[in-house]
Amino acid sequence: MRYYETLYIVNPNLENEALDITMGEIGTELEKSKSKIINHRVWGKKRLAYQIENQKYGSFILLQFEGGEQDQMNEFNTWMKLNNSVLRHMIVALDEKPEVYVELVKEKSVEKEAPKGTVEETPANEAVVETTSEETETQPDVIEEESTKETETTEDVTDESSEADTEEKEAE
Amino acid sequence: MAFQSRKKFCYFKENGITDIDYKDVKLLRRFVNDQGKIMPRRITGSSAKMHRKLVRAIKRSRSIALMPYVDLGSE
Repeated sequence: MRYYETLYIVNPNLENEALDITMGEIGTELEKSKSKIINHRVWGKKRLAYQIENQKYGSFILLQFEGGEQDQMNEFNTWMKLNNSVLRHMIVALDEKPEVYVELVKEKSVEKEAPKGTVEETPANEAVVETTSEETETQPDVIEEESTKETETTEDVTDESSEADTEEKEAE
Repeated sequence: MAFQSRKKFCYFKENGITDIDYKDVKLLRRFVNDQGKIMPRRITGSSAKMHRKLVRAIKRSRSIALMPYVDLGSE
């Protein structure tokens, strides 16, 4: 069976519950064609490159699935066109089987929060593990935040140096 | 600098990219000029095979409003 991906834009004014309902409706409509849904997640609210139905922003939703019966899928396509809450949609065939995303996205968000949020417990613990492995145990617990900052700065320096190298190569 | 010939190279071959995703707008922006036009192969230096994939990806992302058909720069 082939794998497909549908990216569709929903009116940004829909709130969380209303968004979940529309996503559920679309999911059930797609399952009529006996296709299996692999991923169905909100990609985020983005600014549109051009206005669609006088909307400047739209919430993008990504739907990946294994294809079912062809006729039913064509009906799903027309149903999506007629659906008023969907501003635009596009179905694309994939070359390979898509991976399941959800957990990876959560981990990334935690990592982003870790340097910023000092109050939360779980990211702080992760930071402790990193610092102890990289640096010696002479420093007390109070200086943990500073040590994390130091590690970040060193990483930044390495990135810049690598970029500088590439620029030099281009100049040559 | 103007008379030095800089050797062109295929960005995708250099970075080991085989498939171009239409959702990767940050990458696709490199191959589009200020007006939103697709830059020709003679300027970007990308290989024919990858240029075909690139064009398809840009056109897809245009149709789903991730990239502009025409970028007038206003707003």
